[in-house]
Amino acid sequence: MNNYLAQKSLLAATSLAAGLLATGLVAQENPIDNITPVTDEMLLNPPDGDWLMWRRTYDGWGYSPLDQINKSNVGDLKLAWAWAMTPGRTQQTPLVHDGVMFVQNADHVIQALNAATGDLIWEYEYELPDDVRARGERNKAIYEDKLIVATRDAHLIALDTKTGQLIWDKQVANHNFGYSFSAGPIVADGVVVQGMTGCGRGQPGGCFFTGHDVNTGAEIWRVNTIARGDTPEGNSWNGIPLESRHGASAWLAASYDPEQKLVFAGVGQPYPWISEMNGLLPKSSDPNVTNDALYTNSTLAIDVNSGELKWYFQHLPSDSLDLDYAFERLLIDLPVNGQERKTVVTVGKIGIIEAIDRVTGEWLWGVETVPQNVVLSIDPETGQKEINPEVVPRIGETTFNCPADPGGKSWQATAYSPRTGGLYLPLVEFCSNTTPNPLDPGEVYTGGGRATFARVPVPDSDGNVGRVDAVNLSDQSTMWSYRQRAPVTSSTLPTAGGVVFVGTLDRKFIAFDDETGEILWSSGKLSSSLESFPVSYMVDGKQYVAITANFASGLGRLRQITPEVKLPANDPITVYVFALPG
Amino acid sequence: MPAFLELPRLAGSAPALALLLMASVSPPVAVSAQEPEFYERPFAANQWTYGRRVDESQLRYCVDGRDPDWEVAGAIADAIALGLLLEPRQYLVESNIIFDDITKVYAVMLEHCDIHLGFKLIPQGYPDWVTVTRPYYDAEYVFVAANPDIQALEDLRPSRPIGATMGTSAHLRLVSYLSALSAEDRWLTYPMGTSDLALRSLLEGKVDVALVWAPNLWAKQREDPDYAALRVIEPAPLPPIVLGVGAILLSNETFLRAAVDEAIAALRADGTIADILDEYEFPARAAP
Repeated sequence: MNNYLAQKSLLAATSLAAGLLATGLVAQENPIDNITPVTDEMLLNPPDGDWLMWRRTYDGWGYSPLDQINKSNVGDLKLAWAWAMTPGRTQQTPLVHDGVMFVQNADHVIQALNAATGDLIWEYEYELPDDVRARGERNKAIYEDKLIVATRDAHLIALDTKTGQLIWDKQVANHNFGYSFSAGPIVADGVVVQGMTGCGRGQPGGCFFTGHDVNTGAEIWRVNTIARGDTPEGNSWNGIPLESRHGASAWLAASYDPEQKLVFAGVGQPYPWISEMNGLLPKSSDPNVTNDALYTNSTLAIDVNSGELKWYFQHLPSDSLDLDYAFERLLIDLPVNGQERKTVVTVGKIGIIEAIDRVTGEWLWGVETVPQNVVLSIDPETGQKEINPEVVPRIGETTFNCPADPGGKSWQATAYSPRTGGLYLPLVEFCSNTTPNPLDPGEVYTGGGRATFARVPVPDSDGNVGRVDAVNLSDQSTMWSYRQRAPVTSSTLPTAGGVVFVGTLDRKFIAFDDETGEILWSSGKLSSSLESFPVSYMVDGKQYVAITANFASGLGRLRQITPEVKLPANDPITVYVFALPG
Repeated sequence: MPAFLELPRLAGSAPALALLLMASVSPPVAVSAQEPEFYERPFAANQWTYGRRVDESQLRYCVDGRDPDWEVAGAIADAIALGLLLEPRQYLVESNIIFDDITKVYAVMLEHCDIHLGFKLIPQGYPDWVTVTRPYYDAEYVFVAANPDIQALEDLRPSRPIGATMGTSAHLRLVSYLSALSAEDRWLTYPMGTSDLALRSLLEGKVDVALVWAPNLWAKQREDPDYAALRVIEPAPLPPIVLGVGAILLSNETFLRAAVDEAIAALRADGTIADILDEYEFPARAAP
């Protein structure tokens, strides 16, 4: 590892800093000098002005309790500062603690910035192997004095938050087999919980979640995301051996219920996606096996200390369209049939919102959002889905499915506002003509696995592709639905000020009224599309809203159906931070 | 189970059933080129800094050390360069990563080479930022067995396992064939991530037959005597599965593509490529 450290303290002399404090010139102080350890208590109840983990709180709400920026003044929002990041795609979530913002560049330069001014405090370069493509990670974690970062070559590293110096480096898997991290960890009850991706043709057996000692990175437990053994779950792979089972990536970080000490996380689809390629079709005649492919497309409830899988619920068995249920899990207590239930809420790529009892794993309800033709019906008792056989891809045929593979709702996270009881969903409407393709153009350079997806508008579309919905989770009614031509490409950010922020493919950052859906503010055109996770924080009594502009693939693929949206060729990546004047 | 969607549907959402009906009576027309998901717009670090190269007396070509035929491909590329009166300049891609996404070749080509050898001619298998030359040789996917009683695929009893290199053109053809049979008449097909894993599974008795790219078997048998006894069997009742192998260029290299095509045609016609294949005892054909 390149261990160079560029400590660039803006105010180095503590005696001078003390003097400035004494004369009241606090604004010139380097916040790194006063950064405090992040305790378990802080992670359980984060300070309002901090953003300490991926979705800010363990329950995954992605909600900011700050209200300085509100419905009446959000229209005055102005750019406070911006920071250009190094080239390469990323979908990052900045973390903010005690006035310091931590960002991870695609080339794995990790930086600490003054969150009020955008000035660089320190940076650390993690040197990726030459043959690993530089890309960013969706999130990081912070615990005590450690910033914990996942890497594209399947390492976890911990840096000193004050200095950027490396504390530990743990290789979790061998990247030569395809293993890679696309998201970072959470730290829950002192355990670093991390999900693995890239479990394709290079190594059978699927992906896994791991728990690590926060002080050393040592692995404590591992949960395989592909079931094995002579169990009903292990026998759900159509009779093919473990050597032939692939996929089940853990694409996003988990949520955590401290009461039960359970983490809740999603798992992706089998690989390759086409069932006739991955061995799930033709279906075995053996009555003792199924082709559900557990634990793909499932919610897993894992004991954070032991790694024991307490329960699972599979949302979509034998997925062959890349419509996985791998994304955020929100822990919300909701009324269900007159009873208060502790639920875990998630939305798969099909765009169906689903609620599960997070104590028992019982499926509670589901609600459709975007146009889809994949699920014909859902058993109201079990949540079992009847899949439209017409959409299952077949070799030599072209099938038509809605939504297309990037999903009506993708990795861009939904968010929940306790102010309104609403779930705010970034959505897109589109379909695909899907034709299975072989994987073997080259022996090494492969086609990724899957099919030709000719993405097309929804039949009889009015031309609008992007959409933001607000859904009242108590009764599953629509509070409002906003639609526009350009795809919506960022996660949503509701705040206590009554506004909901979201970014779009056509480079705009928009603020909605959380109750009506009225647009209250829109940024000018920024440097690129906004494919990331916006956050809000406070420094010295001033609220800021930050988002990373970058074309990061994902829903950027929707440029196929909105060709008029032009983006810069060099994929500029910039952190933009907005605040009220003064 | 109800016949149709019973989801509590939100106001403003198009009903799923209506979608089904619309799709059935009015298939949508693609508004964009057929673009596989994995062919997302390639990105290479500092890609905007690469311009037109200065030295046009060289043919810069790439071969990948992970390809079983990289030495053979290098010899063919040298012959192509000489045919074009250019100086061959090889760049050997070296990596321990087992699989790379095809978009990664974009960065390799921007920096190192005009043509990259070792790509199968698969209809609609390439994005529009790539163009493929005519094939310099044709090779087969082969069924391989260890048991001498199995001389042809049809000798394999139903329900016995075949380890097929996953997702390959040959695997797809095998699955299509099996899908047309009744369940009791099918062989089991175990998808294997690599040819190596399929061959190892055969050696270890986990499968009765392996379906692999013939150059992979050739390379494995050259490097490891444990594999020497494995035999290619007749594919019947399936036909032979043959694919041409050529080189890729960035799609704006139209002039060079035409020149390379002409050179390949000439080298196939005059027996140069066949001689190279013979020299390496390589399992491919280069008939005119």
